[in-house]
Amino acid sequence: MKSRTLLRRTSARTLLAVGLAASLTFAAGCAKSEDDASGSGEAASGKGDSGQVVAGGDGGATCAIDAYGGKKFDLKTATVGFSQSEKEANPFRIAETASIKAEAEKRGVRLLTANAQSQFSKQISDVQDLIAKGADALVIAPLNSDGWEPVLRAASARHIPIVTVDRKINAKACEDYVSFIGSDFVEQGRRAADRMIEATGGKGEIAILLGTAGNNVTTERTKGFKERIEEKAPGLKVVFQQTGEFSREKGQQVTEQLIQSKPGITGIYAENDEMGLGAVNALKGAGKKAGDIKIVTIDGTKGAVRSIVSGWIDGVIESNPRFGPLAFSTLDSFTRGEKVKQDIVIKDSAYTGKNAEADLSQAY
Amino acid sequence: MTDLALGRPAADRDHVLRLLQTYGVYLGVAVLLLVNILFTPHFLSGENFRTQAVQVAPVLIVALGMALAIGSEGVDLSVGSVMALSTSLISLYLGYGVWVALVVAVLGGMAVGAANGSLVAFIGVQPIVATLALMVAGRGLALVLLPQLKDVRDPNMASLGSGALLGIPYPVLIAAALALLVAFVVRRTTFGRQLLAIGDSRPAAQLAGLPVRRVLVLVYVASGALAAIAGLLATARLSASDPTSLGNLMELSAITAVVVGGTPLSGGRVRIGGTVAGAVLIQLLTATLIKHDLPPSWTQIAQAVVIVLAVYAARERSKR
Amino acid sequence: MLSVTGLTKSFPGVRALDAVDFTARAGEVHALIGENGAGKSTLIKVLTGVYRPDAGEVAYAERPARFATPLEAQDAGISTIYQEVNLVPLMSVARNLLLGREPRNRLGLIDFRRMHREADEALRDLGVRVDVRRPLRELGVGAQQMVALARAVSVNARVVIMDEPTSSLEPREVRTLFGVIRMLRERGIAVIYVSHRLDELYAVCDAVTVLRDGKVVHTGPLADLDRLRLVALMLGREIGEVADEGVTKFTGEHHAESEPVLRAERLSVRHRLSGVSLDIRPGEVVGLGGLLGSGRSETAKAIAGALPPDSGRVTVAGTSVRTGSTPAAIRAGISLLPEDRKAEGVVPGLSVRENIALAALPRLSRLGLVDDSRVDAIVDTFMRRLRIKASGPHQKVGELSGGNQQKVLLARWLAMNPKVLLLDEPTRGIDVGAKAEVQKLIDELAQDGLGVLLISSDMEELVEGSDRVVVLKDGAVVEELTGSAVTPDALLSAIATTGGPAGAEAGAAGGPAAPQHLRETS
Repeated sequence: MKSRTLLRRTSARTLLAVGLAASLTFAAGCAKSEDDASGSGEAASGKGDSGQVVAGGDGGATCAIDAYGGKKFDLKTATVGFSQSEKEANPFRIAETASIKAEAEKRGVRLLTANAQSQFSKQISDVQDLIAKGADALVIAPLNSDGWEPVLRAASARHIPIVTVDRKINAKACEDYVSFIGSDFVEQGRRAADRMIEATGGKGEIAILLGTAGNNVTTERTKGFKERIEEKAPGLKVVFQQTGEFSREKGQQVTEQLIQSKPGITGIYAENDEMGLGAVNALKGAGKKAGDIKIVTIDGTKGAVRSIVSGWIDGVIESNPRFGPLAFSTLDSFTRGEKVKQDIVIKDSAYTGKNAEADLSQAY
Repeated sequence: MTDLALGRPAADRDHVLRLLQTYGVYLGVAVLLLVNILFTPHFLSGENFRTQAVQVAPVLIVALGMALAIGSEGVDLSVGSVMALSTSLISLYLGYGVWVALVVAVLGGMAVGAANGSLVAFIGVQPIVATLALMVAGRGLALVLLPQLKDVRDPNMASLGSGALLGIPYPVLIAAALALLVAFVVRRTTFGRQLLAIGDSRPAAQLAGLPVRRVLVLVYVASGALAAIAGLLATARLSASDPTSLGNLMELSAITAVVVGGTPLSGGRVRIGGTVAGAVLIQLLTATLIKHDLPPSWTQIAQAVVIVLAVYAARERSKR
Repeated sequence: MLSVTGLTKSFPGVRALDAVDFTARAGEVHALIGENGAGKSTLIKVLTGVYRPDAGEVAYAERPARFATPLEAQDAGISTIYQEVNLVPLMSVARNLLLGREPRNRLGLIDFRRMHREADEALRDLGVRVDVRRPLRELGVGAQQMVALARAVSVNARVVIMDEPTSSLEPREVRTLFGVIRMLRERGIAVIYVSHRLDELYAVCDAVTVLRDGKVVHTGPLADLDRLRLVALMLGREIGEVADEGVTKFTGEHHAESEPVLRAERLSVRHRLSGVSLDIRPGEVVGLGGLLGSGRSETAKAIAGALPPDSGRVTVAGTSVRTGSTPAAIRAGISLLPEDRKAEGVVPGLSVRENIALAALPRLSRLGLVDDSRVDAIVDTFMRRLRIKASGPHQKVGELSGGNQQKVLLARWLAMNPKVLLLDEPTRGIDVGAKAEVQKLIDELAQDGLGVLLISSDMEELVEGSDRVVVLKDGAVVEELTGSAVTPDALLSAIATTGGPAGAEAGAAGGPAAPQHLRETS
């Protein structure tokens, strides 16, 4: 009697569970989104991928294969491992991974990829896996700057050249790894400040939407911006700085509060595009008109560049995620025995009202 | 211990304390309003109140569901993920028209709620564990369905997010209606009365022949549905579906609003008025700190202080 | 070996132990018995260092002792075996047995071979043969208890305290246990044995101490005491002592109809009930007698659907009721007032009104909306009829006195128009006035034609209130008293009878050869 009741209940539960799973699968199966017809996937294809250009002239320490150890080899026949740090859920990461993949395909190099899903321990084991699977060279987008010693030691013992992209790690260049390729976030902040000064005429009150607290991108983009404002435009006053946590929703909420309490604001500096778009939402909601308040953001995503075209955003400083061409050409030169720079700072472009429409295809 | 010696004054103090526990949250809201009116420029404007109300609406709606879960001596940690799932589903189904998308989103939230409720009611998993599982799974599913932020350009969605009736924004109207509905359900329906009995003493409710399992499943379904509604309002307001960040830490904000509002975590009581005031209190607190451009870490510290005060009050209450 | 003198321990509102003297001698099995709340658990907890006494001396091995923690007591050689075995279920039997004292090899690592050999020997000594490498949880409860015992003996225990060790054992396992107990006795270990099963006591114990209301009412050799007298001592009722008529408010006379309204047939729940059958006619109060742990509450719960029976049938007015479902039982007209009123009965945070209406809510609602006026009418009726004293219908039930809480519960069930009321200790813990009122009410309800099952540890209440008394022992019906046979004396002798299904074998099997058969697999 009891067992039968139990059985009945268990089967009811199973049914329920199966039903739930089925209904959710179904939900995804027959979905039809707003712009299914237009087709998407342009971001992933790497179309319009202009690659990156190295900033600055010569100078700076270099690294060659003799110093690093190991033998020359031909990259074309090699296997390259790529370790991505975060889920490809934001435009930057999507474009970054797509660019690496596209370049590998273009050069006919065998590529192994792994994604650490924002877990540092997973990234360490990812890299170890890539080495175990026979990667001859590594491209790493590190989640953290620290904690890389053990895995790097294992890699350099086997003389596997490593290039880190977008974030630097705390280790010895040309010993633990070959080169770092990335943007200068402080410089991005400075350029954003220049843009802001130009847009506002160097006078008035401005607000900063900070990124996530404790993040080096936040600190550096803030530092560059504030330094440049102080230096060049004493007439501009930063009267408000609150975190929008790099998200559109928070950026919108904070901006709503801002325009209530400080209606006289003339400019908003958002440390990424998402917060900037949130600010645009807030301004629209408050009945402002495009251009009433100057917005300058950093990143260069399609959405932000489109907003320049529509007049809501004044300027976007690019933070180029397309590391593929540069990473592979660095590895190529290095494995051929040429010297490569240890710190390769890329030149980011910018979007303004002048070039936004024309260069929209370059945004990611 | 000294209460006996003090006699009457102690009783008075007790009385004051009890009043504070019951009405403290309203007092807090009043004090914050007063402080802002006095010290914050441009605070006394219709536009400002509209902003605060619109911002608090999603939190409040989620908190209503959370209040039900907590009243049943449970908790629902999956609400933030349900919001993310809801926003993914909207984006995915907008092609069929706005109404279909909204209905699918709410159904998705209810499905997650049903899974939560089944785990709790039939399999006997502790609510905190069951809903934690769905919190992880829900966000994962949302990201599978929609891997990245996607703009929502449907004009109906836009008007849902920013439109107004008689000067009151739609999200605020919806939140108010839902608050009244939930209060009515708790007070006047069989379900509401049974929910409180189950939250207060589950063995007694069971022996009294109440449909304990059914009520528990319904509680989590309701919580899921409310979270999904909050998710769709947030989507409409943002005019984008952002499953990565939408609803992050929402469960904590909701629990805070409920607890600050005087609903005990031990179940058996649901204070809807208090929950509304609790959500408003947290919103005003955040707004005050932002408007005065104080460091963001202050906001977190201030919230922590409010929670500690509320929990302290709850402790005093349970001692009696 | 271990003795206490003048031990007193109070808790807020209760004196749990009142100047208790107790001595456990080496090589003696000492039974410690008493009804609920007599103070057995408190005494054990003082002996094992869980509680500190308010007054009195504890002497251990002729020296004054004071154990601050259970660990101290254990280190001194006092081991306790609880009903629920407290070992590590996932570790092997050998690990459990030698936990913290594992034999080491020269490298300081655990010497598994020696550990398994030693463990095997220790268990073989107790007549238990199991594979000591297997995880403990794969063993049956009985064998697990043996491991706990073996551990106790191997840590050189000089006193072993056993708290209802047989409550979840099969008869065969009980026999093994008794063999081990006798072996302990021969080794000069003092055993303190707590149990409600009289047959077991007589099978294995040498001396007995009876506690009642925190006082020692008897201590001495068990052989000098017959069963009847033992039961009388426990229940505080002398044989032949005629209770004054009218101690209770029962009239004791009802006009029962002939067809039973409730019939329970052969209800069995593993380890708790074996084939209990009883029936109740409309207008009749059937008492359920027996000692603590005899299965009275379990019977009531099994009938009311709160305890799913392994087998058996319940019918109400001829229709069979689905067992194991409270709602089904309630729909059929069975209502249970549980023994633990505070935890299982009232919902303390809700008002009197909500509590009364709780079970009847679906009937008082239309389309899921509660009809407040109908609720008010019902609440008003019953508050008046049952004379519930509260500041108003909106007072919280948790703030009411025990008697009024009980009346609220009664009102909750009466609002359902039940056919059968199962009352488990309806007057326990409520004051004299309220007690009389509740008793009078039970009478009235029976006169109105309800079938009532009354469980009570209060002998007068049971005898005077019931038309018939069904006596349970070790989960089975041993006797039914009817009509003029319902007297305290008859009840006492029924409770004290030898035998009964579960205990019979254990009582009979006495020989030292018994322990050899245990090969546990379950």
